[in-house]
Amino acid sequence: MAGRRRWITGTTAAAGTAVLLYFLPLFHVVPLEQAGQRAAAAAYDPVAFVERFWTGQLIPGAARAVDAAELVAAVQQDRQLARETHGRRVGLGGAYYYFIAGSGRVVAVDRNSVGLALCDDQQQVQVLLEAGPIFGNAVRDGTGLLDVNDFANSQDFNALAAEINRRIEQQVLPALRTGAVIGATVRFVGCAEILDEDTDLSPLRIVPFLVETP
Amino acid sequence: MTRTSVGVVSPPLFLLLALAGCGGSPAKPAGPPRIAVIISTLNNPWFVVLGEAAKEHATRLGYDAVVFDSQNDPAKEAAHFENVIASRFAAVLFNPTDADGSIAYVRRAKQSGIPVFCMDREINATDAAVSQILSDNYSGCVALGKYFVKQVGESGKYAELLGLVGDNNTWNRSKGFHSVVDRYPDLKMVAQQSADFDRAKALEVMEAILQANPDIDAVFCGNDAMAMGAYQALLAAGKDKQVMVFGFDGADDVVQLVAEGKIVATAMQFPKLMARTAAEMADQYLKGDREMPQKIPVAVELVHQGNADKFGDYGRKDAD
Repeated sequence: MAGRRRWITGTTAAAGTAVLLYFLPLFHVVPLEQAGQRAAAAAYDPVAFVERFWTGQLIPGAARAVDAAELVAAVQQDRQLARETHGRRVGLGGAYYYFIAGSGRVVAVDRNSVGLALCDDQQQVQVLLEAGPIFGNAVRDGTGLLDVNDFANSQDFNALAAEINRRIEQQVLPALRTGAVIGATVRFVGCAEILDEDTDLSPLRIVPFLVETP
Repeated sequence: MTRTSVGVVSPPLFLLLALAGCGGSPAKPAGPPRIAVIISTLNNPWFVVLGEAAKEHATRLGYDAVVFDSQNDPAKEAAHFENVIASRFAAVLFNPTDADGSIAYVRRAKQSGIPVFCMDREINATDAAVSQILSDNYSGCVALGKYFVKQVGESGKYAELLGLVGDNNTWNRSKGFHSVVDRYPDLKMVAQQSADFDRAKALEVMEAILQANPDIDAVFCGNDAMAMGAYQALLAAGKDKQVMVFGFDGADDVVQLVAEGKIVATAMQFPKLMARTAAEMADQYLKGDREMPQKIPVAVELVHQGNADKFGDYGRKDAD
């Protein structure tokens, strides 16, 4: 009788333990790739990422930018050919980007932008450097150095755009606003997003991430 | 004793048996290969267009396409995947209900040899679906946010209606919008509530917001169904001229109201283009192509009264 009781108690305990472990397992088996993605997502820090990207890729990558005067001439001649030769499109849709470097003479300054003429004999604004709040993905997507497929989710990728813009506002634009006086020469590297070719090509609106003023 | 043992092990045993059943390879059905179109909800016209367009393009490519409605319910979505796997569909064109919760279903389909192509909504994994064709919601809402500031001004009070909180699109839209609007400290958000992308719920939420904040200047809605619900509430309260409504999607009824100046703006996110791309990629994959990008962003375009006539039928009128 005692043996039967022990057997019932033992079986009940084993059953209880099995049910408990079924609902609250001690561990989960996760494929390595999946575990790696989870760890990467948990460790993702857009500020640290942009810090590394800025010094390791963005500034050295400036050499890949097309010359602004060359691009303006190419756009004037044949904007479709210019787009195919120098533009960069991300995914499907009408918008595309130019990665641009150059220097110009300041011919106009307002609250949110600095207008440059690229040639000595030119008085009209040929490119506008954004100098106010920076919005959107121009620098993130314009250089071709960052790829959405390297990020587990689009929120992480979008956080990069916000952080790049914040860094530009804090570290690049103050020097632009101070140094951009009429007649001064400004050297710049940046990106332009073209949403509408009828309005965005002349003048080109460039978000600069590198600016040198006298 | 035997009965007791079976009772203890039965949940995992049944699970194993069920999994074994799912993993088997029953004979493929006769006729053209089948493609499943699993849509988060067909209670929203925008998703009906997405689902119907996916079905139409898959059919045009020679497949037998079947549309499944998950009704925004992960349990129903799970059941659809079980069905699709058991019935040996050739591929799934998928609009998920939850960026994290839906990953497991996509993985199970993949393990069963069924490729999945996400449309419009993302899953938070890059090793599960073959490809994800996604609206660039963030950029669309940056453009919408800039237009919002232009129309409302740099000061005022506004409310925001969020979509499903488990969906990445909800936050990409909200964050894109706030990346612009939050730069203007005199633009005050006085209420932010979820209405689950649902028109009827948006109407209720908007009524409640108006009770507490009768003096708002604008409302930003994370999709057009909610914009319609909010507009309806404003109309009933006699505040449709006072409060500017902004939506997102490019639904036909909202584009029409934008053209009439009753809703200020929306953003067109091309469901037919996404559906067509997903169907074509599934077809290419089934024919042996394996070189496919994991994510394909699809640009979103701002629609306002000045250009509303260029849009309609869930796309650009001049598109091919």
